[in-house]
Amino acid sequence: MAVNWAQVIFNSAVTGSLYLIGAVGLTLTYGLSKFPNFAHAELITLGAFISYLVSEQLGLGLLPSLLVAFLVTGVVGILCCRGIFQPLARRGSSIIHLMVASIALGFILRHGIGAIWTWKPLYFTGIGSAFDFGPLRITHLWLWLIFAALALSLAMHLFLMNTKIGKAIRASSSNPELAQASGINVDRVIWVTWFIGAGLAAIAGVFRGADTQIWPMTGWDIILPIFAVAILGGIGNFYGAIAAAFIIGLAENIGVVGLMALGLSTTYRVGIAFLILIVTLIVKPEGLAMLFRRA
Amino acid sequence: MDPLLYVLDLIVFIGIFGIVSLSLNLEFGFAGLANFGKVAFFLIGAYTYALLSQAGIPFYLCLIASALISAIFGLVISLPALRLRADYLAIAILAFGEILRLIVKSEDWLAGGDWGVTVARAISITGASHRVDALINIGLVYFCLLIFFVIIQLLANSPYGRAMRAIREDELAAEVMGKDRTKFKAQALMLGSAMAGVAGGLYAQYLHCVLPGMFMPMITFTVWIMVLLGGPGNNWGVLLGATLVEVFERGTNIAKDYIDLPVDPSNLQYILFGALIIFVLLYRPQGILKESKIRSKAQRLAFNGRRSAKNKGS
Repeated sequence: MAVNWAQVIFNSAVTGSLYLIGAVGLTLTYGLSKFPNFAHAELITLGAFISYLVSEQLGLGLLPSLLVAFLVTGVVGILCCRGIFQPLARRGSSIIHLMVASIALGFILRHGIGAIWTWKPLYFTGIGSAFDFGPLRITHLWLWLIFAALALSLAMHLFLMNTKIGKAIRASSSNPELAQASGINVDRVIWVTWFIGAGLAAIAGVFRGADTQIWPMTGWDIILPIFAVAILGGIGNFYGAIAAAFIIGLAENIGVVGLMALGLSTTYRVGIAFLILIVTLIVKPEGLAMLFRRA
Repeated sequence: MDPLLYVLDLIVFIGIFGIVSLSLNLEFGFAGLANFGKVAFFLIGAYTYALLSQAGIPFYLCLIASALISAIFGLVISLPALRLRADYLAIAILAFGEILRLIVKSEDWLAGGDWGVTVARAISITGASHRVDALINIGLVYFCLLIFFVIIQLLANSPYGRAMRAIREDELAAEVMGKDRTKFKAQALMLGSAMAGVAGGLYAQYLHCVLPGMFMPMITFTVWIMVLLGGPGNNWGVLLGATLVEVFERGTNIAKDYIDLPVDPSNLQYILFGALIIFVLLYRPQGILKESKIRSKAQRLAFNGRRSAKNKGS
């Protein structure tokens, strides 16, 4: 069987872009609030459904729906943080309690979505069909996805390095007490981060939903690789996440080729991310962070 | 449906999930381990039971094998995982459960893949009614529950259990006192997994089948609600939690038939579960019953001794 390697590389870029957009919020909130937010999966799902509501049910088109999904999910992110996680942290909850609370929140969101939109898969229309470009099979959506990931990387880089709030996020992430003592309003920094993180999760949800289908498990379907990206990249490390997203994208797509060659089910592609996750946790829990000291 | 049978069925479920929540209580309540993949060991027990009982092995050996194989998996997982921080351990075990479900789902030769396989009842009397069948299951399940309850209760009050609690409270201090935290945690995870494995075996034979869809992460989370609601570190508490959660689950299922709700009850049930757990964590993190005090022989002696000394003085 001849393998179209150009297609494999292109698919890796598409997969990596999706994981990057999905993982930025997770890694930043994990680094800042010091616990993994399992409800991140449901923020992804929520974004997809809000976008579906705006673009399909209200008929306003995909691009405005992206913006609405970003804003609404971002606000939901702030509310979750202020309403649940910060009060818990103030009461001295352990990290285990915070994780359980985030799973509980995920249940509320997932089944809330299920109650509103039912559990039947829904599809975006007007996505455009695939076309051939040389040896590659491409859709417009994939090109937009790669473009979005590149734009995000650049924007986040400028935001984290040059703006006051971006610097405050980095400072609060590495040493909250010192940041507070230097006059940074850490609470505000946390809210901004949750807003951006949840908003980006929504964008990832829209792309994932438009590419496949949307149902209340949309986010949960890709949460494992997204956790793998956050951990391989080093928690709270944006530059690590970029590298990790493309490493995992590549590993998954090459892995699929390998699985087919071995005659195994391609549903195991999730297992590849899992393997990377476990190996990283055991061998080097700080991930790729050491490659990006400045970040 | 026969109302008596419904109650008997509920009692069986409380027993099975009582065993699982006791096992999580050992791991989380006493040893402080965040096992977010409880369902993985439940699944291993169920599939071990299913595959061995198909081979015609008697049910008690199948249950023992379920316990052993789950325990082995628990140990294997614990070797690398226990050196991890609480959050990493949680992610790793959660992912382990998801992958395991993926494997039984995709490997058709193993146990029917997505369609599952049927499992024979442990004890089947020809011509017995459903009620008698349920009663036999109650006997079997509660026999196992009793054994595990006594083991965990004795463990909790023993020097071993005290060392475990000490490690939960302060790993470093316990280590300084010469308690090997990795060893204690590995043993807690092993015993907890064995218990979950037996519960899985009982579950498989009671439901007559194993399907990948029976082992969603939802199960893990339901067990966490039972433990956190009832009171981590208190064995009576987690049994109370298991009872309350199961009754609530059944209650909403019955309510579905009588009350016309605008929200689909199966969704509503999980929304309420989620809200309940956040509420408990915010306002009563110790659960309904507080962690049980340690009762040991030495304490009793000391207490009695003081009293008799007082009596002499008067």
